[in-house]
Amino acid sequence: MSPPAILAQHRTLPVVDELAGLFTDGGIRQGSTIEVTGVAATSLASALTIAVSHFGGWVATVGLPTFGPSAASDLGIKLSRWAFVDHPGDQAGVVIHALTAGVDLILVGPDIKLRSDHGRKIVARMRERGASVITVGKAAPCNLRPDLRLRVTQAMWTGIELGHGRLTSRKVEIERLGRGADSNLRRELVWLPNKEGRLNAFNRKNKPVNLSQSPHRVSKRLFDIDEPVCRAS
Amino acid sequence: MTCDQLAVVVDNDRVVDITPAAIGYGITLGIRRREAQKLCADLQVVLNDEELSVRRFSSVIEALESVTPRIEITTGGRCSFPTRGPSRYFGGDQALAQTVVERTVRVLSAMFETDEVPSHIYPKVGVADSRFVAALAATSETSSRIQVVVSGRSAAFLAPFPIDVLVAKESPLSEAHDLVDVFRRLGLRTLGDISSLPNQELLARFGSPGLLAKQLAQGIDSRASLLHSISNVVSEESEIDPPTDHVETAVFVAKAFADRICQQLAAEGLACVRILVEVETEHGEISSRLWRHERRFTPTDITDRVRWQLEGWWKSEMAPTGSLSLVRLVVNETIPDSGYQLGFWGEKTANDERAIRSFTRIQGLLGPDSVTVVQRGGGRRLANIEQKVPFVAVNFDPNRVVNLPESTDAPWPGRLPVPLPIAVLTQAKKLEVVDDDGRLVRVSGRGHMERNPAYFKSECLGAHLIIGWGGPWFLDERWWDSAKKIRQARFQFLLDNDTSHLCVIENGQWWLEASYE
Repeated sequence: MSPPAILAQHRTLPVVDELAGLFTDGGIRQGSTIEVTGVAATSLASALTIAVSHFGGWVATVGLPTFGPSAASDLGIKLSRWAFVDHPGDQAGVVIHALTAGVDLILVGPDIKLRSDHGRKIVARMRERGASVITVGKAAPCNLRPDLRLRVTQAMWTGIELGHGRLTSRKVEIERLGRGADSNLRRELVWLPNKEGRLNAFNRKNKPVNLSQSPHRVSKRLFDIDEPVCRAS
Repeated sequence: MTCDQLAVVVDNDRVVDITPAAIGYGITLGIRRREAQKLCADLQVVLNDEELSVRRFSSVIEALESVTPRIEITTGGRCSFPTRGPSRYFGGDQALAQTVVERTVRVLSAMFETDEVPSHIYPKVGVADSRFVAALAATSETSSRIQVVVSGRSAAFLAPFPIDVLVAKESPLSEAHDLVDVFRRLGLRTLGDISSLPNQELLARFGSPGLLAKQLAQGIDSRASLLHSISNVVSEESEIDPPTDHVETAVFVAKAFADRICQQLAAEGLACVRILVEVETEHGEISSRLWRHERRFTPTDITDRVRWQLEGWWKSEMAPTGSLSLVRLVVNETIPDSGYQLGFWGEKTANDERAIRSFTRIQGLLGPDSVTVVQRGGGRRLANIEQKVPFVAVNFDPNRVVNLPESTDAPWPGRLPVPLPIAVLTQAKKLEVVDDDGRLVRVSGRGHMERNPAYFKSECLGAHLIIGWGGPWFLDERWWDSAKKIRQARFQFLLDNDTSHLCVIENGQWWLEASYE
């Protein structure tokens, strides 16, 4: 009896523990499209590649010319297997199509637009090759239907006040919306970045004191993860 | 670089060459760069530039071609040739070696324009039964510059050498650091120790590399015994039509050949270790060189050799007068290809090959600079730290691609504090920062601010309320150079839409430099 065939969609790319809670399978499903939106979208999209970059996988960015490697490296990303196609021009579709054959994760910048036939071709190729795409910003202009939407709903910096201090760490709330098995809403709280520039799980017990002292934030009810979660329609 | 400077040459994170002064610190060949730097803090690290060294070495080769036509060039300023014929002609090994030294010295003194060739670049010659022994004889620390190992006495000559020489550059085992490490921990210190071990045990415990180590330790040229006759001579040649003056065109032709040759050899289970590269011009001038590789030639290695040979020829005294009209590659010596295991994490993987193939495709589409990889430099400004270099500029070998220079963690006074912004604008954008009354915020030369920033207006981000700000932090770079000097004050702004940005003010103009997206 031959072993059962493993479909690309049942294999996953690794994701660091801090973010694994956002994924039903504990990792990025190969061949899937993930849409990352919100304030810290670039950081979150990069953070999703940390584990892949450590396990010998290749990551490529398309149309993200502003991407700052130093910050990414501080986040914990190993940049030795990262490649950048900063200005694909009107060839973005062909470029992404070519990349799906060779790299594991493709980060697509917010200004990239794809024709619908290109989008379909790319999705087919991603499923076949097991490459996944993360769009920084809406996936709609790329004509890719996201399997998973990650949205940074709240982002709060600590350490900076009016006229003194500096940006030290940012607490971020990520909300997940998906399709099918992923359709239940999940939330995750992380430091992105923490004061060493790394990604760190948010631990309510050692909550930094200055958080509650931040004057311009007191009015907003924030990060109350115990409140009942409303399903977004 | 002179011999009393502390310096090492590093290739692929391993030390491949050391100046005499650095040897005094206990630095040996094959150790990692970090370890070398640990042993000697003032060490100067030079990255290995094979192309440059081969190009400079080519004039020595030209001089030696008057001794024998069969010179095989390996990289790193070394070459070898079979001595039986020339030795008989010049009257013995010693006389031959003397001739070689004299002719080389003549070239070197012309090259450096001195009568006295400095001692650290003085040529060294070793004559022995096998290439490995001869290389050791030439490089070992002896008073004489010429060392002839009498035929049949190789094993005795080798016995006192430490086993580290097995991983030296000229050794076929030069990548077996792990094997040598195990030997060392087993208490095997010298080549004599290894040659006294029984064959069977070595083979059972260490496989073919173990046996090869013993053969090397006994002075048996493994390659000579493994010499494989090629069923049909593998060679490729093609006329370049129309003839060209560009080296790259010829190299491009050779690239296709190299791919084909390696494929053909792989199909027969062989790998090429010596190749003859011949180039002809339309005036009938020929440049012909034998190149040797210690392990196996990859197609990229072969094209590199072709390029080096052509560039050397172009710059030599006997530079061709006509355009290039023919390229010929002939595989001269092969060994059975024992294959290589694709690495797990951190080494070359099948992944890399696939990725490189797709990058090459994109480069073909958008141009060679379209795909970039990261190289980090030092500096205070983000533009100095973030450096992306074209993928083609980094050597195509995936092993080297992953070997990016480590980030310089030198303490740059005035560098940005961690966390760093993840979106760095390649071109800073103009913006306006005003106070509550709409007046532009300025910073005086002494760092004094009369007004507090309250609103942030930018074309790309719109107008926003500033809910947190830090600064000013001053940056005064190259104040001694009026053309290049930079004097800026840095600010961090947190806006009411939860975004945060790094901005600078320079000569009363605000600029958006980066965002913490």
